[in-house]
Amino acid sequence: MTQYAQTQTTVSEYSELSILQRTDKRDIAYVVYGIVILLMVVCAYLMAIFGWLPHDPEEMQLELMLAGPGAPGHLLGTDFMGRDTLPRLILVIKAYFVPGLMYIAVAILLGGIFGILSGYYGNKYETVVTYITNIIDSFPRLILMLLVVAAFKPDIYYIMMVLGVTNAPLVSQLIKGKISMLRQKNFVESAIALGIPDARIIFKHILWFNCRSYLIIQATLGMGEAILLESALSYLGFGVQEPTPSWGNMVQQGANYLLQGQLWSSTIPAMAIMFTVLGFYLLGDGLNNMLEGKRQS
Amino acid sequence: MNNSPLLKIEELRTYFYSRTKQAFIRSVDGVDLEVNKGDTLGIVGESGSGKSVSMLSIMGLIAARPGIITGQVWYQQEQARINLLAGLQDHVQVSKNDGRIMSVEKTDLAWQRRLEKNMLGIRGKEIAMIFQNPKSAMNPFFTIGHQIVENITRHTQYKSRKEAKERALYWLERVKIDSPQLRFYNYPYGLSGGMCQRAMIATALSSEAKLLIADEPTTGLDATIQARIADLLEELRAQTGVTIVLISHDMGVIGRLSNKIAVMYGGRVMESGPAQAVIDHADGKSHPYTEALLKSIPREDNMSSQGHLNSIDGEVLDTINVPRGCRFASRCQRINKSIEKMCLNEEPPLATVSDGHKIRCWHFAGV
Repeated sequence: MTQYAQTQTTVSEYSELSILQRTDKRDIAYVVYGIVILLMVVCAYLMAIFGWLPHDPEEMQLELMLAGPGAPGHLLGTDFMGRDTLPRLILVIKAYFVPGLMYIAVAILLGGIFGILSGYYGNKYETVVTYITNIIDSFPRLILMLLVVAAFKPDIYYIMMVLGVTNAPLVSQLIKGKISMLRQKNFVESAIALGIPDARIIFKHILWFNCRSYLIIQATLGMGEAILLESALSYLGFGVQEPTPSWGNMVQQGANYLLQGQLWSSTIPAMAIMFTVLGFYLLGDGLNNMLEGKRQS
Repeated sequence: MNNSPLLKIEELRTYFYSRTKQAFIRSVDGVDLEVNKGDTLGIVGESGSGKSVSMLSIMGLIAARPGIITGQVWYQQEQARINLLAGLQDHVQVSKNDGRIMSVEKTDLAWQRRLEKNMLGIRGKEIAMIFQNPKSAMNPFFTIGHQIVENITRHTQYKSRKEAKERALYWLERVKIDSPQLRFYNYPYGLSGGMCQRAMIATALSSEAKLLIADEPTTGLDATIQARIADLLEELRAQTGVTIVLISHDMGVIGRLSNKIAVMYGGRVMESGPAQAVIDHADGKSHPYTEALLKSIPREDNMSSQGHLNSIDGEVLDTINVPRGCRFASRCQRINKSIEKMCLNEEPPLATVSDGHKIRCWHFAGV
């Protein structure tokens, strides 16, 4: 009996545990891996903007075309023009980083505004927001991107902007759900009765505690998604254009030589995509379980 | 020093529109009340009699749309006397002879904005409110102390963090929470229901409001705590001079705390007056509804011959199809042949029967 009591974790004990103690070990591993990837991305970004590259990314060594990893002087090999792969991989981060953040900012800001308007004020706002989000949702995302690229120019900022706008309905729906659920609660009513202004109730009493973890998760997942979609577009030739490197167009160029048995110049950037996107996704997933508390069945 | 009442409600009507039934639900239908400074007004009535809704209307907290409020609520500030519902009547059409709302042409947003503007500086600062179920009415994400400090810095002259904290501890002591230094850092889930209610009273009073609306403050607490909270409210009223409007369906709590009582039924005030007159029948006159309510308090002498507790037969008034006559007529025990016609066909006026004591019944209409 006493042994049973000791192994039980009561609710109050649960809340006494530190956040590391109460999360699953697997989630901690996810988060650690994600943070490593995040650090690598940040390092690569710093290296790219300060120009601390291991090799000149533009220098062509025609005698070393399509070399595999470990070729002399080229840690990750070279591409079809004999350019070193590693500095080109690093340079791509510079192209992804700011647009990726912009995408997240656009999605969260727009989605947040929509969510607050429809969730807290409801009524007419809700109708209007529903119309807008339905219109956005009804466009196939990839085709909208292609349209924008065709109409303006194949620039990563345009693509990320479209991505941000098309992701806003999802963010808005989740925020709206949270707010309209909490709007009914007595404590919001009593906060109104205490004369606290709406903006303060929304941001401090509702959003800060209920949506901050969600926003962190959305940001990390969004970063991974941004990389993935941009790579897909670049692979199709609608994204970043040569000679600016992008993981998508690097994979695409390397793919031309796959049948000749030259695997590496395509697989190295593909692996970079995989590990980075996986890192962001696992970070988001792990953080979700860590901050929101894993749903117990 | 002026003697006008702190809060004067005239012809307050709160209707909700039911889309499915295509009709108005008349939750509050013409309520007139007066609350003087330093009084405790108890509003009593069955569930659905409109007592909570009328007070929520005053605070502008009717969230359900489309809810329609008309009437005048005069609130006496230090210098001016202001109407909390000013401008809202522009949006509704009221029938000339009995003041009922005929149709609404309110654009929701303009209406809401007007209400918010009227309430600015009133809610929380002048009129504070405490709710039932204290545990859900405190924000679960902030400590008790944080919530009180936020209210103090917003509404009083104690602006700095340190002063506000001292003031918050003072209020926690005032409401007799044990070891306020510790409780200051507690979250609402760490407190019992009674303690939470005390903390909420402290939060509401910490803005030094003139009027405290207590919406069933003792519901959801157990009997001993109920009595203590009631005592606490009485003590705070005596110390700070705050005016209290107490809403309850518990005749015991109302009788214990208030010096003025209003009995509501079907969205209308049936009887109002000093507590002695309403509860103890000091002038020998009472409304049949009040009498029936008093008879259903669980007490030994209120048992029927079969050993059951007395209850009021029939159902609570359907506020969509309000009868033409007296609202209580269908359940009234005192109805008799001589006045039956009047009871069923015409609503009695709120007649003054003795000093300050008003009854809405045909038995007393001729006095």
